[in-house]
Amino acid sequence: MAQPAPVRIVLLGPPGAPESATLGALSRLGAEVGVEPVASASAAGARALESEVDLIVTDPGVRASELRALLDRVRDEGPPVVVVLDRDDDALAMDWFRRGAADCVAARSADEALAVAALDVIRRHRASRERRLAERRIASLRRTTRNIIQNIHGALLVVDGACRVSYANAPAEDLLGEPRGSLVGRVATRWFAGDAADTPLRRTLEKGERFRGAELLVERSDGQRIPVAIFCGPMRDEQGRDLGAVAILQDLSEMRRLQRQLFQSEKMASIGQLAAGVAHEINNPAGFIDANLFQMEEYVADLRRLWRRARGLESAARSALATGAEGLEALRSELGAWRAEADELDADFVLEDLGKAIRESREGSERIRHIVQDLRTFARPDGSQRVWADVNQCVDSTANIVWSLMKHAVELHKDYGELPALLCHPGQLKQVFMNLLMNAYQAVVARVGDSGELGRIAIETRRVGDQIVVSVQDQGIGIAPEALARVFDPFYSTREVGAGTGLGLSTAFHLVSAHGGRIEAESREGAGSTFRVLLPATPAGPGS
Amino acid sequence: MKPVLLIVDDEIRVLSALRRALRKEGYEILTASTPQQALALLDEREIDAILSDHKMPGMTGLQILGEARRRRPGAARLLISGWPEAVQQRDLDALGVQVLIPKPWDDADLKAELRSALR
Repeated sequence: MAQPAPVRIVLLGPPGAPESATLGALSRLGAEVGVEPVASASAAGARALESEVDLIVTDPGVRASELRALLDRVRDEGPPVVVVLDRDDDALAMDWFRRGAADCVAARSADEALAVAALDVIRRHRASRERRLAERRIASLRRTTRNIIQNIHGALLVVDGACRVSYANAPAEDLLGEPRGSLVGRVATRWFAGDAADTPLRRTLEKGERFRGAELLVERSDGQRIPVAIFCGPMRDEQGRDLGAVAILQDLSEMRRLQRQLFQSEKMASIGQLAAGVAHEINNPAGFIDANLFQMEEYVADLRRLWRRARGLESAARSALATGAEGLEALRSELGAWRAEADELDADFVLEDLGKAIRESREGSERIRHIVQDLRTFARPDGSQRVWADVNQCVDSTANIVWSLMKHAVELHKDYGELPALLCHPGQLKQVFMNLLMNAYQAVVARVGDSGELGRIAIETRRVGDQIVVSVQDQGIGIAPEALARVFDPFYSTREVGAGTGLGLSTAFHLVSAHGGRIEAESREGAGSTFRVLLPATPAGPGS
Repeated sequence: MKPVLLIVDDEIRVLSALRRALRKEGYEILTASTPQQALALLDEREIDAILSDHKMPGMTGLQILGEARRRRPGAARLLISGWPEAVQQRDLDALGVQVLIPKPWDDADLKAELRSALR
């Protein structure tokens, strides 16, 4: 057991009277009692407030005004004050009691009465001081806990058995977009999109389920929608009684933004891979347009020469008309020269071929326009809103872009079934199809190499029940079973470093998941692979 | 006798433009838009030079030039490609291909290369 602390008493006496009877009486209380004489109420009050003084005793010689000042000073915070009076005077004693004295003792009986009064008062004072200290400690602990909870990096939400908020920290109020202190008592499911009965909080309350990072959408009253991850589980006391549920919500907006950037750069990387093939596809028409223009320039020079002859012929004809027979000889010679020129430059052929060269060049420039347009619609990021789109069209325009790259090694079969319009992000779906087609192409090239042999890739689209199914089947090298299990992992790639981002299929998987669908993969080593994209059809088509 | 030139490209518009560009060069020009046509012409005709595109379905230009060397060893061999970066110099050397012409091509250069190959 801890030793009780020594008793400390401050004695306020009249100035210049240190050897008072009161001091003598207090000194006789025992060795563990320390007495500190002071000469003014302010000194006594200051000592009492700054250190752990158990008791203040005032000598009878202290002036009433000093005594009043002291009592006022220590009334709320300080130690008890025992007033020693120079005589038995109940009225006076009552007066000091009213002013806050803990006890009054007559000087005559000081020895015994003072001892009793002092010890009693000290005991009471110590008990109340300890209570005060304990209360202070509890308050400080509560403040610390509150600070921790308020500053924790995550929105904390505690709900009772009826899913009403019983506690929420400041990040929770910020995340849900509600003013400070306004959450308590409200039903928590109101902030979550979707079926209220199926939110993780309800399932925790009703079935005791725990969630670690389940994703859901917060719908704030200001209309903002925020993707969050929820970590929640039941809250129980020491006896295991259910108190409700406790949840931490984590704002995923920033992560989603980075993810979108990553997907976009993955797309740009695949466009980079395409660029060479696309350049080839553009160089063909650019080559013949260029050559045709060069040739057309020569044709025009030829025709200009012929036109000059025609002018000569015209003026010879005019003078023959004016002069009669004399000019006929000159006209005959001009006509001969014109015919010779026309035959030499093969004017009939030039005129016909000029028309052909123009038509062919226009067809070539139209083709370049299409290629660039396809590439541009592919590269353009989607807006945040889903739009109605034709999945067959998404598949086909993507196949057209990839075709330029793969046509030397691939025999492409397209079989498009009738599909309902889909509310989707068409750019994201094109990115998915692009990844699947590029993988199929690479698998085929890995098998046929530069042999000139063609590998088959078959694209098929079908409506199966309420799902749209797009499958890409290749006769490539196939995927080993252990690799097949990991094809959707980010950065997993069997290609050499630099030959691909390793993000293609994981990106495709994410984009398809974001559309509520999934991708299935099947493969036999040496025989080829099939990837199937399954997308849930949108319940109501446009205009229905 | 006019020199006989065989041009191979899967793109008939390119064949047409090349024929147009070489119209006054004094060649007899044969064209093939598939590897099968090209091989058939190599068997049927005396050919002095063959100008082939590279990336084509079925067979690459290098493979066709390889066949040309076997069937018509005397014919000059020229490759033309819209993607010349994808062609390895050592493959050209191995087949004795005189020159690799990029697409789009320069008409004057093309004519000069053919003239020197047929000299």
